[in-house]
Amino acid sequence: MPIEVSRFTEVLMDQAQLVALAIMAAVYLLKIRWILNHAAASERTPARGDHGKAIRYSYATLAMPWELPSTRRHWFHYLEFAFFHIAVAVAILVTFVMPYWPRLLSGRDMVDLLQIVFAVGLLAAASRLTRRIGTPAMRAVSSPDDYFSLLMLGTWFAAAILAAPQASEPALIAFFGLTAFFLVYVPFSKISHYIYWPFIRYYTGKHFGHRGVYPAKSVPRHA
Amino acid sequence: MASGNTQSPSARAVVEGFKNGLSRQTVLSLGACVHCGMCNDSCHYYLATGDPQMTPAAKTDKVRKLYKRHVDWLGRVAPAWVGGATLRTDEDLQALQDVVYGSCTMCRRCTLSCPFGVDTALIMRTARGLLTAQGFAPEGVKVVSKDQWEIGNQMGVSKEDYLETLDWLQDELRGDVGDPEAMIPIDKEGAHVLFLVNPREIKYAPMSLLAAAKIFYAAGEDWTMPSVGWDNTNFGLFSGDNKLGAHMGKLAYDQARKLGIGKVVISECGHGFRATKWEAPNWAKEDLPFPMESFLETMVEYVNTGRLTLDPTANPRPVTYHDPCNLARSAGITEEPRFLLKRSCLDFREMTPNRQENFCCTGGGGAMSMSEYAQRRLQVARVKADQIRATGAESVATACHNCIDGLSDLIKHYELKVPVRNVCEYVADALVLPAPAIARDALIPTGLRGKRVLVIDDDPDTVVYLTTLFEDQGLDTVSAHNAAEGMTAARTAQPDLITLDISMPGRSGADVFAKLRSDEVLARIPVVIVTGAIDFRELMYRRNVPPPDGYVAKPIDPELLLMTLRKVLEVRHREGVGSGEGAAV
Ligand code: SF4
Ligand code: SF4
Repeated sequence: MPIEVSRFTEVLMDQAQLVALAIMAAVYLLKIRWILNHAAASERTPARGDHGKAIRYSYATLAMPWELPSTRRHWFHYLEFAFFHIAVAVAILVTFVMPYWPRLLSGRDMVDLLQIVFAVGLLAAASRLTRRIGTPAMRAVSSPDDYFSLLMLGTWFAAAILAAPQASEPALIAFFGLTAFFLVYVPFSKISHYIYWPFIRYYTGKHFGHRGVYPAKSVPRHA
Repeated sequence: MASGNTQSPSARAVVEGFKNGLSRQTVLSLGACVHCGMCNDSCHYYLATGDPQMTPAAKTDKVRKLYKRHVDWLGRVAPAWVGGATLRTDEDLQALQDVVYGSCTMCRRCTLSCPFGVDTALIMRTARGLLTAQGFAPEGVKVVSKDQWEIGNQMGVSKEDYLETLDWLQDELRGDVGDPEAMIPIDKEGAHVLFLVNPREIKYAPMSLLAAAKIFYAAGEDWTMPSVGWDNTNFGLFSGDNKLGAHMGKLAYDQARKLGIGKVVISECGHGFRATKWEAPNWAKEDLPFPMESFLETMVEYVNTGRLTLDPTANPRPVTYHDPCNLARSAGITEEPRFLLKRSCLDFREMTPNRQENFCCTGGGGAMSMSEYAQRRLQVARVKADQIRATGAESVATACHNCIDGLSDLIKHYELKVPVRNVCEYVADALVLPAPAIARDALIPTGLRGKRVLVIDDDPDTVVYLTTLFEDQGLDTVSAHNAAEGMTAARTAQPDLITLDISMPGRSGADVFAKLRSDEVLARIPVVIVTGAIDFRELMYRRNVPPPDGYVAKPIDPELLLMTLRKVLEVRHREGVGSGEGAAV
């Protein structure tokens, strides 16, 4: 059963989140406006391929690891990516549900499920951090923001594991405190990549579709 | 130069240009990279060297640091936190030049591996454009760009040379097909096809143009070549100079409009096709009233409509195909060459990986003109060499002159001993044509007989081989075995042509070439480089002295060597006495 929490924690889980969320939304809107303020290059020659199909294909590659040469080769990294991002999505969902409908998450099975998801996310974060520190090629491209973002997300998953049973006020403070921090920090950090993703996949699809490169040919590439 | 907090004028100009000139796609590619490393092993530079600085992200980060420092919101406040930094000195610009020109062929293989689609080539080209505008570009790129601006083609071929070469090629065509009416038309108004070529086909490698002419002849095509605006290549694509890109496109488009042709067909050149068909209309801001296609597409149409009949037994040995990056990844042309090769060759073998996933020939992005980076180019070519070796093929087909040069160099370097030719050459070999009505000798004069050739080569076996080959053709020969002997013989024997090995000990061959070109009297003697080394490209692109008249790689293909000699001697012979109008108009 969810515990009774102090007024401070209540505010942290509710109003503080809403304020942080509003800040994040405002920064994101500004960011989108900023992106759109840059003129997009366009093509003047008639298309060789189908834009619509290519754009849909471009987005769908997210769920088709066999289509990108990299995810086809590094399937473990793809799985890691998938679990990591599923855990992030679930954790975000929890921050919306827990303050208002705590009982929805209080069943034993639900708590177990959430904890497993967050634990897998934590493992994925640890694995990614280890690779970033341990591989010279990854180290060479990593900035403090890259390390910090991973470290903080790992910590957030750990806090989420502890907060999931809603039985420890310090765990809830840690989880929601980190969430509020992320909501404000994320739009400025590398984690904001998901704002770019829909735009860049759109233009990638449109460009390669125009040239007839996307969707990738349905012939066996290793024939 | 700058010190402390001051910034050199060039560095300031690059930074300001960067801050103000980014397209939406460039901003997205700069902002989206999460340094995940998924693209690392898509890049031949990283695969071959294992150098952490050679991953696509590490290389683009050398540009991205500017974005982080001057554009990114957090980076403007705390640049070190997000890897931001600025450019201060000319040394910084030189270092950036070495990255964007010297360690990326803009092949876009990494883009197709990136979960975001970060366009590394776009980032590199943006940086190249800013650097080039400040004079920071490899010497060869500058020379070639200047020739495209001033002469209208990348090899500085004069209009007379171009027209004489076509005239000579027309004779070769007539000799090959046994038809005195066969033509290479020039500036024919209202022709169905306007054919644009790579200057390499005019200057050094006329075999592919001859093959194309044969194919047009066999298909009964109503075609023409333009007398100006014929160069389909475009160094604006490599140097990031959109104005040059637009200029080269306009030269061709204006001619196409003027002649009222049905369509533009672009010979087998990867970047030439991409630039002329896809990019230059954007740079020139022109909507074009005529269609443009690759010669590969034209040939497929001929086969499909029964205008060409092919006999694959003409090419019985195993052949593989190298997909040029600019065709496969930037123009969607992957199936046409396979269609043609499977019908022209008995044993076609795929390279692995292939199509959009093929590795770069290592000569892309203008790399062939950058002798500064030749050693690195050859080092990273190991990936491509392994790919070719694994096919077991005895020859390589490709659809790009740049790729032919890149592959030829790596084939020599890694001792693969396989020839590389354009697809149309395999198709031309396989053409089923009526038996020639008139014998070749009766149709075209042999310009070799009685001419004197000086062979300069330190390898006695090569000297014997070449002198025998030439004497069998009715040529007089003189030989020399080192640089000093060569210079003396050039003065005393007064040859009509010199074949020169530039890889003699101590670079003495290159010295001989420079001395020949700088000598008032000897400079008029044409020189054909016959070499097993790759440093002759420096002579072609840097042009401290006028470039050689021809080159043939060792191991020597005798047919190609004799054709090169015929071209050099016969085209020269025509100068001043030819029609002055090139081939048939
Ligand atoms: S370019 Fe793409 S694949 Fe490469 S590190 Fe950046 S985000 Fe990852
Ligand atoms: S564009 Fe090609 S050469 Fe450049 S980093 Fe990407 S894979 Fe490497």
